[in-house]
Amino acid sequence: MRGLWDRETVAMLLLAALMPVALAWLWYGGVPAAARLAAVLVVSGLWHVVFMLMRAQPPSLAGAASALAVAMLAPDVGPVALILGVSFGTVMAELVFGGWGRNLLHPATITLAFLGFGFSAAAWPDLPLPVAWAAIPAAMLGAVPGVMPARLLAGAALGGLAAWALGLPVVPLLPAAGLVLVLLVADPVASAATRAGAWMNGALYAGLVALFAQLWGQGAPVQIAVSAALLASLAAPLLDEIAIATWLARRRRRHG
Amino acid sequence: MFTAALSSGLLLPRSAPPLSVTPVRMLTEEAALTPAPGESLRVEPLVDEGALVAQGQPLLRLRASPQIVLTAPMAGRLARIELAPGRRLVQAVIFHEGEARHEYPAPAAGPEGLRALMQGAGLWRLLRSRPFGQMPRVGETPAAILVMAADTSPGAPDPMQELRGREDDFGRGMAALASLTGTLFLCGGEGLPAPPDTRRIACGRLHPQGLAGMQIHRHCPARIEAPVWDIHAGDVADLGALLVGGLLPETRLVQVSGAALRETRLVRCQPGADLRGLCRDIVKPGPHALLSGSALDGGPAQFLAPRDRQVTVRPLASGPARRHWFAAALRRAGRPLPVIPTAALDQALAGLPAAALVRALGAGDDESAIRLGALSLVEQDLALADYATAAEPPLSAQLRAILDRIEAAEVPA
Repeated sequence: MRGLWDRETVAMLLLAALMPVALAWLWYGGVPAAARLAAVLVVSGLWHVVFMLMRAQPPSLAGAASALAVAMLAPDVGPVALILGVSFGTVMAELVFGGWGRNLLHPATITLAFLGFGFSAAAWPDLPLPVAWAAIPAAMLGAVPGVMPARLLAGAALGGLAAWALGLPVVPLLPAAGLVLVLLVADPVASAATRAGAWMNGALYAGLVALFAQLWGQGAPVQIAVSAALLASLAAPLLDEIAIATWLARRRRRHG
Repeated sequence: MFTAALSSGLLLPRSAPPLSVTPVRMLTEEAALTPAPGESLRVEPLVDEGALVAQGQPLLRLRASPQIVLTAPMAGRLARIELAPGRRLVQAVIFHEGEARHEYPAPAAGPEGLRALMQGAGLWRLLRSRPFGQMPRVGETPAAILVMAADTSPGAPDPMQELRGREDDFGRGMAALASLTGTLFLCGGEGLPAPPDTRRIACGRLHPQGLAGMQIHRHCPARIEAPVWDIHAGDVADLGALLVGGLLPETRLVQVSGAALRETRLVRCQPGADLRGLCRDIVKPGPHALLSGSALDGGPAQFLAPRDRQVTVRPLASGPARRHWFAAALRRAGRPLPVIPTAALDQALAGLPAAALVRALGAGDDESAIRLGALSLVEQDLALADYATAAEPPLSAQLRAILDRIEAAEVPA
């Protein structure tokens, strides 16, 4: 008897959860957006095929979710740089670790960070507001079957609320931050996996966005959100360690 | 109180409830003594093949510890004893004949007398000792004993039904067990009599809350120097009956369910009953597999395994599975396959840091696995996670490999 939740089922559900965002973005972006998505899909798919043939690594549909995130959020750097960035992110963040499920960081986060740091003069995209609204159904579609960590989403929402209550200028960043949250941060593999760790991870992401909003006035909203996502996912293993250490300490106190 | 109501777990597809809630008494024509899955019993016969034996009569004893005997599950003729090299028991088959019952003298007073009675009457192997999940060693002293009066496995009979009308036996058995250990836990079983210092644990309704491993992990983690035993509440009532009357009860409550049956059936049959005999007249046409245990953790078997109280009959997929060589090559290349930490995995390992444990098992990291509680678990406890995530190789097999390695390294022979 075999259950449902193997790697490819999770990848398919993740992709399905991102559909509202993807369709809204394609609707408002038209042909250029579709062409960009196709280009990223082809480059990243090519690397998946190369690793399948040379290292017998089965390709994963999660690659399509990463390609969508890159196509939506990448700065306007031109085709050569985009190909370079997608290759770097796909290979160095995902495929060399053994494919999706064994990676530490989200390949799209690495691609975007690579492009952002390497081509700092390039303009970051300004996403239409309805696309950002689509992040809410996407988060629900991901959280209800449990392919996106619901605690992380809740932690991020609480963190955002707290920042707003403290009077930090987070409101103009909300659309970009929400999209990056569902596209990059709420990935089941690259985020913290323990219960407490997921809360902390979401709150950390929201806190970093608020911090950058306060101190980094000239940053574009997407740039700020992607930087926060990168730092939050770098901290995820540490948050897991903290959560497990507290759990162990509590158990030791109870059981000796 | 809230922990029981809000406990995590998975809702599983429910099998049909039994047609009649009053169990039918059903002694199959054949029954056998078999080792539990993964157990190795080096035995010495006490009775010749072909001899008539009484129900409850000692048939085999362990070579390493001759105090521990295995007893006949029913009166009959000992047909054959099959041994593998090294005198390891494969099965000892009995054909039903007569109604004779073996009577045990009342035990000597005190815990030593009780131990001797349990070991000499074949009740010892109904105890399971953790870490490692085997029959306890002869002189082992448990840090705690957990009595399971709840079972959330899909298709398991309700232990409370087995205990109905046997409350006095159960109370006597509990009082006896309390003399063996410092702490006695009773999981579920509201209203059952128990010694006053028994710690009662409320048990959630969802699987895996009713597994002994999850409760032991939560309430009294097992360590190598402090083993924890668990036993089914029905076996405790059997112990109580043996103490007062000197006779081992003939039957136990077993539920026979599964997709290959026309109906679910509740029976009272002997331990080690022949599974074909239990379901022959209700099985649907077509190939099927007989499992001793639940659909999640049961193994293919011909006879009911020692601690099992349920039988699952599953249809066999017709024809061999077709798989392309290319897909098979990709599947085999990078094992263990990655397990994505989803809510399903988290719920299937209620209360444990699931992703960290899966990672430790996959990496063969003994220290981390011990830290996260692997010593309190056995294969059965990870069967639900295996089902939910379709992990390859199964997490339960990975856990067994780690437990075997720890046992070889840490436990003096």
